[in-house]
Amino acid sequence: MPVLAGLRVSAFLAWKSIRRGSKGTLVLTIMIVALIFVNLVFLPSIISGVVETFDAQSIDFDFGNLVVEPREGSQYIDGVASLQRQIERIPGIVGTSPRTAAGVTYFYKGRNTASTLYGINPEDERSVTRIAEFMTEGEFLSDGDTDAIVMGATLAGTEGDEGGGLPTLEGVVVGDSVRVDYPNGETRTYRVKGIFETQSFGVDTSAFITNREMSEVLGLQDQASVILVKTEENGREEEFKRELLSYGIQEEVRTYREKAGGFVDQAIQSFNIINAISTLVSLIIAIVVIFIVIFINTVNRRRQIGILKAIGIDQQIIINSYVLQVLFITVVGALVGMVLNAGVTTYLTAYPLVFPGGPVYPVVEASAVLWSVASLFAVSLPAGYIPAWRIAREDILTAIRG
Amino acid sequence: MIVAEDLTRVYTMGRVEVRALRGVSLSVARGEFVGIMGASGSGKSTLLHILGLLDRPTSGRVMLDKTDVLALSDHQRTQFRLNRLGYVFQDYALIGELTALENVYLTSLVRGDPEEEYLRKSTDILERVGLGDRMDHRQSELSGGEQQRVAIARALVNSPSILLADEPCANLDSQTSKSILDLFRRLNEDLDQTILMVSHEEWHKEYFCRVVTLRDGLIEEVTECRKG
Repeated sequence: MPVLAGLRVSAFLAWKSIRRGSKGTLVLTIMIVALIFVNLVFLPSIISGVVETFDAQSIDFDFGNLVVEPREGSQYIDGVASLQRQIERIPGIVGTSPRTAAGVTYFYKGRNTASTLYGINPEDERSVTRIAEFMTEGEFLSDGDTDAIVMGATLAGTEGDEGGGLPTLEGVVVGDSVRVDYPNGETRTYRVKGIFETQSFGVDTSAFITNREMSEVLGLQDQASVILVKTEENGREEEFKRELLSYGIQEEVRTYREKAGGFVDQAIQSFNIINAISTLVSLIIAIVVIFIVIFINTVNRRRQIGILKAIGIDQQIIINSYVLQVLFITVVGALVGMVLNAGVTTYLTAYPLVFPGGPVYPVVEASAVLWSVASLFAVSLPAGYIPAWRIAREDILTAIRG
Repeated sequence: MIVAEDLTRVYTMGRVEVRALRGVSLSVARGEFVGIMGASGSGKSTLLHILGLLDRPTSGRVMLDKTDVLALSDHQRTQFRLNRLGYVFQDYALIGELTALENVYLTSLVRGDPEEEYLRKSTDILERVGLGDRMDHRQSELSGGEQQRVAIARALVNSPSILLADEPCANLDSQTSKSILDLFRRLNEDLDQTILMVSHEEWHKEYFCRVVTLRDGLIEEVTECRKG
């Protein structure tokens, strides 16, 4: 008998069984497969969202794409202006921003807290980070400012909110004066020009003044703690790092991922372990559910299977008809799952989960969807095949007698 | 056509050995309508199962259409059942999810017959058994007699050389039983269809050319009943 004719009969029997069998069982099974699919796709999409949020936050607010650091044994980079010009000549580099960092103590209305204060060249900073776009009050710094400071929302704080262990001055507003004690014993009072909120933990607990002011207080000349570098596109940091080094830059060059010190890598690793466990459990549930559904289905139709064999229908055609039913359930389940997942993704895009690094939007990657579909098929087919095969290979009379 | 030689069939039920057939030899010529009769437990259904390739004898030999069917592989036996045999079960054994027409053409579909041909053949045969207006009905929408007619149409659709019927009237009232037997008689007389039918009803004898009576797994008596 031609294989195609056999498949045609399997498809015929499968379709009639789906159309005329129990609708309730069919819908329930499809929904279970759909929910398993959502579970398989959801967690990877959150992990991808966390990675994307971390990358965006790191690049946009913390580090740019690359960070140039002082040579080993030096506290500061010397000849900053010349180094900036050298770096900006490299094709693909769109901006550089020297930052000078100091660990300071802030004083405000009898309260004090310690945090990092950065000196920046405001225009350079605008060419690398997006902090200036996230002002919630007041304005960002200008190049000529000497007595102004802009502050992260966490550091500025809210009246009566102790910040849960984070550095906070509990209620600084634009126009207030804040005293800053530098590590070299110098003290300055600055007018708060603006408050920004980036949702990036490290940035929102810090403050910025101009490099001009910082250099004067610390007695620096054409020096900086780091130079942040912005490239024209993200994702090519390693390539640009090699490029910088090939241009004879003697300072240390690190990518933003290297600067993060593995914190997010560890978090992602933990997420991946949770994801693997969740995936395993989901797939086991898929195997068990489909196995049970097909097993009950075949046991209930044991007699029918015997009759089909008795009238001359090959065992393989009967098995294939059950496998095709499972294929149908899996395909429809995956499609319903995609629709449900689109709903969940839309909701979480409108109302994102908020992590310490900022809002996390689910990122559904095609590879995760394909992997989930492939996993579902990989577990569904044997889960459908085995019970059908067990019943279909039974002796005809035993099957007919039920 | 059908030659069975010295068939035995021994079942083991727990520790008990049941000898359902104890050396049955039988020959049926083409175009015969043979009744296999006997009391319950005499071995008549076991004999029909073996001749219908649903079971294998413990020993003996079966030739159907000059083919030694016991030497066939499982796949070949399936093909033989599909192409050369028609089997009518006592309780109709229809596929509940299929309509009468679908039940009938299912085996033609398996054979890979063209759609136009199997639809025509199935429709013709359903009309011949008096179900021309019930073709799109499912098993649950048909009476017992109608279901059995569908089962007969299904058994005949591939023009089998042998039609085997295992107490086809057991679940039917006498009027419906008579109509089924009349149908068998017509098939036998008009189409020269070879039929082997198991029955325990004495009044069925008038339809058979020959009656083989079994008792305790052995042929007790063979009688000519009707001129073929």
